[in-house]
Amino acid sequence: MRQGMVIDLKRCIGCFACQVACKAEHGTRPGTMWARVVKREYGSFPNVRRVSLPLLCMHCRKAPCVEVCPTGATRKRPDGIVTIDAEKCVGCRYCMMVCPYGSRHYQDDASTYFPGQGPNPYEALAYAQHSTGVVEKCDFCVERVDRGLQPACVVNCPTRARTFGDLHDRGSEVSRLIDERGAFRLHEELETCPSVFYLPP
Amino acid sequence: MPSADAFRQRLTDLNLAYRPQREWIEGRGLLVVAAHFFSGVGAGAWLFSVALNFDAGLVISLAVVGLAGAAHLAFLGRWQRFWRIALRPHSSWISRGLWGLVILLVGAIPYAVPAVRDSVIGPLVLGVSLAGMAVVLAYHGFVYAVSRAIPFWRLPLLPVLYIAYGLRGGAALLLVAGAVASARGGFNIDLLEVIKLWVVVSSAVLVLLYLVLARGAGGAARRSAGELVAGKVSPAFYGGVVFLGLVVPIVLGAIGATTGVSRGLLAVIGLSSLAGDFYIKYCIVKAGIYSPIVEELPAARRYGTRRAAAGL
Amino acid sequence: MTSISDGEDVWVPSVCGMCPDGCGILVHRVDGVATKIEGNPKSPLGRGRLCARGLAGIQLLYDPYRLNQPLRRGNPEKGIGVDPRWQPISWHEALQAIVERLNRVRAEDPRRLVFCGTPTSSPFALGVFMPAFGSPNAFVSDRPGASAEQMLARTLHASVRTGPDADFCQYLLLFGADCTSGVVAERMADARVRGMRVVAVEPFLSPAAEKADEWLPIRPGGEGALACAMLNLLLNEYRIFDAEYIRRHTDGPYLVRPDGAYAGDASGKPLVWDEAADGVRRFDEDGADAAIEGTYAVEGEECRPVFELLREAVRRWAPEAADATTIPAETIRRIAREFGEAARIDGTVSIDGRELPLRPAMAVGGPGAYGHDNAWPTALAIALLNQVVGASDVPGGLLGCSPVSLGHPETGLPRWGPAADGDGLVQAELTPENQGWSAFDERFAFGRPEVLIDYGSNLFMSVGGPDRCLEAFKDCFVVSVSLYSDETAEALADVVLPDACYLEGLDPLPNLPQQQPAAGRGDWAYQLRQPAVPPLFQRRHFAEVLLEIGERLGTADAMNVQFNLLYGLRPPQALDPDERYSWEEMADRIYQGWFGPERGLAWFRRNGVLTWPKRLEEAYWRPFGQVRVPLSYEWLSDWQPCRAQQAQIGFDLQAISYSVPWQSASQTCENPWLDEVSQSEPYSYFICLNACTAAAKGIADGDAVWVESTSGRRVRGRARLSDGVHPEVVAIAGNGGHWARGMPVARGQGVFFNALLSLDPEPIPLSIDGDARVRVYKE
Repeated sequence: MRQGMVIDLKRCIGCFACQVACKAEHGTRPGTMWARVVKREYGSFPNVRRVSLPLLCMHCRKAPCVEVCPTGATRKRPDGIVTIDAEKCVGCRYCMMVCPYGSRHYQDDASTYFPGQGPNPYEALAYAQHSTGVVEKCDFCVERVDRGLQPACVVNCPTRARTFGDLHDRGSEVSRLIDERGAFRLHEELETCPSVFYLPP
Repeated sequence: MPSADAFRQRLTDLNLAYRPQREWIEGRGLLVVAAHFFSGVGAGAWLFSVALNFDAGLVISLAVVGLAGAAHLAFLGRWQRFWRIALRPHSSWISRGLWGLVILLVGAIPYAVPAVRDSVIGPLVLGVSLAGMAVVLAYHGFVYAVSRAIPFWRLPLLPVLYIAYGLRGGAALLLVAGAVASARGGFNIDLLEVIKLWVVVSSAVLVLLYLVLARGAGGAARRSAGELVAGKVSPAFYGGVVFLGLVVPIVLGAIGATTGVSRGLLAVIGLSSLAGDFYIKYCIVKAGIYSPIVEELPAARRYGTRRAAAGL
Repeated sequence: MTSISDGEDVWVPSVCGMCPDGCGILVHRVDGVATKIEGNPKSPLGRGRLCARGLAGIQLLYDPYRLNQPLRRGNPEKGIGVDPRWQPISWHEALQAIVERLNRVRAEDPRRLVFCGTPTSSPFALGVFMPAFGSPNAFVSDRPGASAEQMLARTLHASVRTGPDADFCQYLLLFGADCTSGVVAERMADARVRGMRVVAVEPFLSPAAEKADEWLPIRPGGEGALACAMLNLLLNEYRIFDAEYIRRHTDGPYLVRPDGAYAGDASGKPLVWDEAADGVRRFDEDGADAAIEGTYAVEGEECRPVFELLREAVRRWAPEAADATTIPAETIRRIAREFGEAARIDGTVSIDGRELPLRPAMAVGGPGAYGHDNAWPTALAIALLNQVVGASDVPGGLLGCSPVSLGHPETGLPRWGPAADGDGLVQAELTPENQGWSAFDERFAFGRPEVLIDYGSNLFMSVGGPDRCLEAFKDCFVVSVSLYSDETAEALADVVLPDACYLEGLDPLPNLPQQQPAAGRGDWAYQLRQPAVPPLFQRRHFAEVLLEIGERLGTADAMNVQFNLLYGLRPPQALDPDERYSWEEMADRIYQGWFGPERGLAWFRRNGVLTWPKRLEEAYWRPFGQVRVPLSYEWLSDWQPCRAQQAQIGFDLQAISYSVPWQSASQTCENPWLDEVSQSEPYSYFICLNACTAAAKGIADGDAVWVESTSGRRVRGRARLSDGVHPEVVAIAGNGGHWARGMPVARGQGVFFNALLSLDPEPIPLSIDGDARVRVYKE
């Protein structure tokens, strides 16, 4: 089994719901976006196209972050999901230097969304689940996946642009989409072998 | 990273095509550069101190290596767990670096004690310290060079450059220490000076080579090189690396070679050179720019029969 | 976040209130704290998925800058930027002050109470309290052109909103409209995947236009010219139109006399020309095909069918002369042909065994096109594109949202549908809660207002020209009912009441289906908004406050009567004017009245949403009814480019605003999760300029610039250069630029677009000009 994701850029409307869904699910601090969207413009007036590209951890099969982590806090599960053990991370941030996708995030200070007001009741609960001084990132919502649910960004996407499933299963929806529509991955040339595929816009 | 400005910066970075790395240079990140600087200089100084029988140099180089360790610890988010860094030498260069440091200290501390040095285990601990030194001298270059995300760092020449600068820095440190110590006699300065000059010149060649190669290594690397020679890192590059690190030592060294060398001059050369060593590391790290996540959208493939090859 | 507890752990079904769409939500409450909002999979609105705003509601609930208790203005001075020096007071004191003033007003002239709400406000205020009080001056602060949108929907589609038929559409021509986000998002994505072609006509490559296969940059305010040129091509040159549809479902065949009135028989019924009988007959009599072209003599007068007059009216719009658009003539010709051919006139489709017309092409107008002072002719011209090819309320075309309701299978309620007036045309009335207010005039017919209640609409930002707002209302007694101490409260309010947000209040039927944008097939959705947590601090739901105020004013019985009218309640659910009911009881009665005694408030509290499948005739009413719509050709000659298109020396650009799917109006800028999105996106907090235009002005990306309009006002921001902007246009997202001290997260973020708009005292045809003539220069 290899957990993977397909993001259909024809369906995606760049609404940032995934960015907020992830934030709402995991209660990350200000500025830390495990899921995010970047926008790219191509062409020149009037032949212009803009593409919204949702990004998250690619859970690479040959993850550079796993190779370089000196403590073993970052490791790859048998199902392919790359996780970080917050108890083992020392915050050296080497992984952030080698991730080509900008998926990793580090917070030193206990910032909150309403500066000067401290954490509100939601934040107080949310931030208790995060440590400062360690690196964190998208984990394909392992806690949900292990309970048989799908990642929060997938379940919530308003256009159903995101699909999650077993890449090794030829009959799964993710495999079917890649086979039928054709897909690409980011930075294929770096040979990280991501688990996130994009269908063309 | 504290407060509102860092928050805004983080968000602005998200949409930059060419994102500079910030964790290992801004704020506390400067400690990483400092640590790599100290460790290189310390290792190089250890080597030369051993080679030239400079007792004071042994102690000084160990102190500098200790500074490197402290700087590393101060940078970590959770320094109390630092021992965990030793756990993955089979895949992580930082892990190897810690082992190198430990091995160096295990050998060097006893060796620095005259009684031990002259005893029967002297050569043994020397050998251990040299093994550790070799690792420490080389490892941080490799730390950067394995990064596929930052093309400016991903050049085989980078570890070579760092080794060269480590040696250079070690020599420079000893120039300074030696200038002070030679007042008390018993230290062959001139030989050291020759070594120094040689290393300085070769470093200059290496820097140029590095930049030439970097410009050809793709968009982000070219931009990084551009930042060094013409962008926001250029003051540090020209002022630190070129002027303080190369021009001043070469010129002063040339003057000294013809008119005779004073202790003060040697110390100045040494300090200037050390500044250059710090700045080359600073510049390289600061100019690190991530490869754009996407420029043109790649063409879609079906993977098909190549699924296995694609690792699917 | 994921939270599991041994204590309280419930998911409360409710309805989102971050925009008027009202998707169903589930709020996870753990030990008294709301920890996550997710979509409610059982609700047809959203189907378990939410946009960025809906998910961010948690931060609205727990925003420490929310108003938590009533306040009184301590500083007698009113004005923009003035510190009100709020003094906390009790609810008792606050209501006493308000009731005292309202009693006086009611005694003198109740029309002097002005009320302004928002599209997400509870209809209780506009539909019950204000009529009972006796004032017609209840408005909803909506986007420019909203009135035109509604007029259009009512006269041509028998609804208050229109939406695309995502199930069958294959060609979508967008005029400043968004058909990508909201409740239609998923089905429109399906449509794109199956090959629907999207052409977006707008001045800026907005988030909506991102998904277009072709972007047609247009000069703002010129959309009507493009639509008229297309009509001319279709009707006169290409001769592509659905004659059958026009003949049967519009007033196209009605004969018109030279004076412009319908030719009628003795009883006044409009006449048509029977081609076989070669004479007139009434429009509703059986007979052979009625003519839609030609000239006929009726009682000595030369009469022509409406359709013929429409053809003539558009004849002057040659594509080569469409200067108002800056779109090349050959492009206009191509698009018109594409559109006409995509409509596949005479096509049919079989659904559930019934054969229905299939017109898989449509033109959709939105705020980008309607938000100008030529709103009505523009809206009409765009709508006529659908009418002439028959793509109206049939599969594939533009649909009214829920124009027909045959009711719940068990109760047959609620029930509504298009009714024909004497001329056979759909009856269109504007009801109080559906009025759009897109301008205000300081010369109210009855004199000056005495009391203003601002219910979340933040007039200073939602209307153009805050200085005009100040002039109009500074002598009034102003009550702000709001979530924050916003700009209007700070500048004007005498009393501020802390409103409960949508997560803290009960609202029955928060979005009547006519307002839901989910047009076409699918399921009906009747929902309940209920508190996920009880109102925090001293916040109170305004509907309940109004009940109390009504009681004190003595208007409670009238309110009960209005309530019955608004919700169509009959005994035993109807309210007795002499009795007093709690808000919950009133809600209970609505649900029981419509869905039966077993489905009252308790049922809805447990289930959240009641759904049942729509019938075909509810989704597509046109093939099933005999009600016609007017082609209103006479308005087209009124079309002019909008005022902001007029060149003025020194002011060479037009500034427009556009919406983004993660913000609603301006208030959501205070929500830090949404503010974070705006900051992480390249355009929305910036002033977007065409790259060449900016270069010519010496403006680089990121430079601080001023945008100054001919009204004399200017706003400041940072420039973002893009090729996705028409060279004559400045594009600013939404309406940011808050300055209120009570909204510190939003303060200074984005640009206050509405400051640039002009409010002129002349009569305004359904919309102020939502764009401005400006110049841009570096700071």
